[in-house]
Amino acid sequence: MKDQTNHINPPKWATRFLHWYCKPELLEDLEGDLLELFDRKVETKGAKAANRLFIWLVLRSFRWSAINKNQKLKTHSLMLTGQNLKVAARVLWRDKFNTTLNILGLTIGILCFVQMGLYVAQELSFDQMHSKKDRIYRAYLYEDYGDGRIFFNSVTPMRFEPLFKKEFSEFENVVQWFKRTYAVQASGDNWINEEVALISPEFFQVFDFEMEKGNASNPFTGRYDLILSEGYAEKYFGKEDPVGQTLTINLEKEVVEFTVSAVMKDISDNSSIQFDLAISNELNQTLFGEQALKGWTSVSQETYVLVNENSRIESVNAKSQDVLMTYLGENFNRDEYTVGFQELTDIHLNPEVPAGIEAVSNPTYVYVLGIIGFLVLLIACVNYTTLSIGKSIKRAKEVGMRKILGAGKQLLVSQYLTESIVVALISMLLGTGLAIIGIPTFNQLTGVNLIYSFEWWHLGLFLGLGLLIGSLAGMYPAFVLTNTRIMSIMQSSNTTGGKHWVRKVMVTFQFLVTVLLISSTLIMQKQIGFLQSKNLGYDYEAVVAVPLFANIQSGRFTERYASARDNAQLLQQNLQQHPELSNFTASSHAFGTNGWMHLAFEDVKGSFLWFRMVGVDANFIDAFDLKLVEGRNFEKGNTADERQSIILNETAVKYFGLTNPLEEKLPGSDFGEHRIVGVVEDFHYSSLHEEIEPLVITQNMSPIFAGISDTDFQDSPFPKLLFKYSGSSLLAVQDILEEEWSRTFPNRNLEYEFIDENIARQYENEARLNKLIGVATLISILIASIGLLGLTVLVVNSREKEIGIRKVIGASSAQIFGLLARTFSWQLALGVILSIPLTIWLMQQWLEDFAYRVSIGGDMFVISTAISVVIALLVISYHSWKATKVNPVKSLRSE
Amino acid sequence: MSSGHLRFSAVDKKNNMKGETIGELEELVLLTVGALLQEAYAVAILDELVEKTGRNMDVTAIHSVLRRLEKKGLVKSEMRGATNERGGRRKRFFDLTPAGRAVLDETMSVRMELYQKLPKLTFFGI
Repeated sequence: MKDQTNHINPPKWATRFLHWYCKPELLEDLEGDLLELFDRKVETKGAKAANRLFIWLVLRSFRWSAINKNQKLKTHSLMLTGQNLKVAARVLWRDKFNTTLNILGLTIGILCFVQMGLYVAQELSFDQMHSKKDRIYRAYLYEDYGDGRIFFNSVTPMRFEPLFKKEFSEFENVVQWFKRTYAVQASGDNWINEEVALISPEFFQVFDFEMEKGNASNPFTGRYDLILSEGYAEKYFGKEDPVGQTLTINLEKEVVEFTVSAVMKDISDNSSIQFDLAISNELNQTLFGEQALKGWTSVSQETYVLVNENSRIESVNAKSQDVLMTYLGENFNRDEYTVGFQELTDIHLNPEVPAGIEAVSNPTYVYVLGIIGFLVLLIACVNYTTLSIGKSIKRAKEVGMRKILGAGKQLLVSQYLTESIVVALISMLLGTGLAIIGIPTFNQLTGVNLIYSFEWWHLGLFLGLGLLIGSLAGMYPAFVLTNTRIMSIMQSSNTTGGKHWVRKVMVTFQFLVTVLLISSTLIMQKQIGFLQSKNLGYDYEAVVAVPLFANIQSGRFTERYASARDNAQLLQQNLQQHPELSNFTASSHAFGTNGWMHLAFEDVKGSFLWFRMVGVDANFIDAFDLKLVEGRNFEKGNTADERQSIILNETAVKYFGLTNPLEEKLPGSDFGEHRIVGVVEDFHYSSLHEEIEPLVITQNMSPIFAGISDTDFQDSPFPKLLFKYSGSSLLAVQDILEEEWSRTFPNRNLEYEFIDENIARQYENEARLNKLIGVATLISILIASIGLLGLTVLVVNSREKEIGIRKVIGASSAQIFGLLARTFSWQLALGVILSIPLTIWLMQQWLEDFAYRVSIGGDMFVISTAISVVIALLVISYHSWKATKVNPVKSLRSE
Repeated sequence: MSSGHLRFSAVDKKNNMKGETIGELEELVLLTVGALLQEAYAVAILDELVEKTGRNMDVTAIHSVLRRLEKKGLVKSEMRGATNERGGRRKRFFDLTPAGRAVLDETMSVRMELYQKLPKLTFFGI
């Protein structure tokens, strides 16, 4: 038996590893013991288990007491042995100025890199928390009826859920969700408008949102069950256990009592699905009408599918059009109505597919920030490299001496790498520490919401990053130093030991990136300033918008609209008593929100036309001081105006091809009785990203609705009461509003917005990007200055004698300063020149996002060049100036 | 002798600063080395300990304890007994040194002394 087992040997690599590390005097019996246990295991459990045991034991035996410390580790060049560390510490300590500059530069670079990196990582981490994420797709609907009648939506019809379940066996599960705003009873008569999610009962079998209480995969036990987030559980029930308690919600038509069946953990910020209150979408059947439930073009739901483990989404794509055609019948042509699928993890950063229920991010911004973080780190590394090459002038003799005494090249390289790795690790520690401590400041400064939670593997990541940065930054100087021939070093006292051009290229590169960042920041600043100060064509200073509600929950849209408008009247009557409030008007949309009602119709010639519409009262034009270019305003109390008059903007007049618009009609055949009474000058009612679109202003929407074929709106079309506040304190308007609101509608909670804030928010993303780049610019200026300072010191030191001789011969201080300043001037000039085309190209890409934009202009480059020159001169001047002041006798006597 | 700080004068303090006390596993291994007489090598000690204490441990722990004990001068070792098993490798056999024996005696006597002080009858739950 035993003879047989002798033929089975443990894995070779494990044996070899053991031989490599183990002290020779311990090896024989140790290996014998392990082999004995191995053989025993082969007999009892078989070869596989024995192999596992052997590997485990070899790894476990890798202990300090068993390692052969004398030979292997000390000569191994990658190990930071005590000797190398000791020398590195001495060298770094000796040149404190240089070391401080190096550590400072790298620390700042790493700080910037880590913060930008965390931001990018957060953006990339969206929707990664679901274990089945690779099999989850979101459906989208692409409709193309020719003539540019394209409707592309990530929200889909309700009937897709049953349809997909029935037709596509590839799907393990199909779920839908969407949000409605319903009033929730907080206590007694106090109702709060909340966004309530209606989700499929199987929702949690697809997504892994964690449950705090209740069934994790099947939290709904009945039809009228409710799921709360932890935060909302506390909001409504305080410290009590919410499970089993009831909460009353005012649904579309009825008031229903729901029972809390589960509490889930608050959904993290990096999820594309966000809700705090959820009820089962089995209720859709009772809540919504035939059109919503069965319509092919009423879209509201995000539909997610979970594909079977052994199926592929492509097989669904291949047949989906055929399946749809069997349902659609004769009203649709083939390929007019198509369904596609997008990966769950693709949703947040894919600009090709429109956003669904939640907002998405602009991937360009994420990548731009990632690249900037990387560039800044690169500048910092370049800094280290240039400074070290510079320092090699001083150290050349040391290298020569070491070589003469027999130091091998490997040893020398490892010595210098040790130095740079020590510097990098110290900087890494400081940089990451500061970055993490500085996250709140970063958030405040840039307006992003960065959340960092430490995990142990991050330590390894940071350590690895530090090693990498240290090796990269130290690689070149280490090889330059060690490659120099001994004789050339020892013979001449002034060999530089490095190639000048490499250093010059690096300095130029540094200047280039810095100037690029300065110019870009300035141009973005200019564009954002332009957006914020552009005359939008109406007066929106201190205008407040208060959305109203309808008293009836059901019925036609126009009836509910009228009810809400009556409420606006009530509120206005009460608010009017306050003299500091003026310019009251009620309007279906307020400025500063995109997605005003979008309507389309087929005109008499058969072409497809679309426009936006806003429902207003007679005060609207005056309240915002819009200019009429033709015709007249609505007359107050004129019932004909209230019934049928409309006003167009200039763009609409051009778009509809009306040469003489007054008393004309819109060019469609099915519209109700209406006539154009006036034309207003174009004004920017949506953000400046978009061109001004045709707009119809009316007091009565019904005749227009009669003639249209398609609608879509992202902004709620229910009336808002708008008014201007002329007092001094914005807090006062809040008090008045709260008082009057609770007097008029005691049971409803108040919402209001300032229009100027909404307008500023449209450019929030751009402003945030600008701030982030501004921070990066400051940091890169700082790093480049540190590098320049270090280089100046080195240059001044190496030209000490030259300066002395020049002074003796009679050069003035100013001449010598000029001489020193010229050292970097052409590198700076080259950096500036190269940065210009790069900046223009980058900024043009960015500016293309805006319909209204500034020209880039030469002035920005003049300013950024001036800034960089002034900073460079300032940095150079101190040390150069000092050098010119030194008594030449002193410098000539040195050595 | 009062309870509390235990000192083992037998241990050579110059050799080992930490050697003033030995840990529980060290004590067990030391005892086993003594008990196995001439047959004490790592695997045999492991088997004995696993059998007697029912503890789940692996041979590397025994190795490191033995090295520690040897460094403290409580055991000495010699290589012998090459056989066809174990790929022909010899075994490292351990034996107690007088110092090791003294440490064991000291530990045992302290234990016994303390044990004797326990009341003969214990109450339930104590």
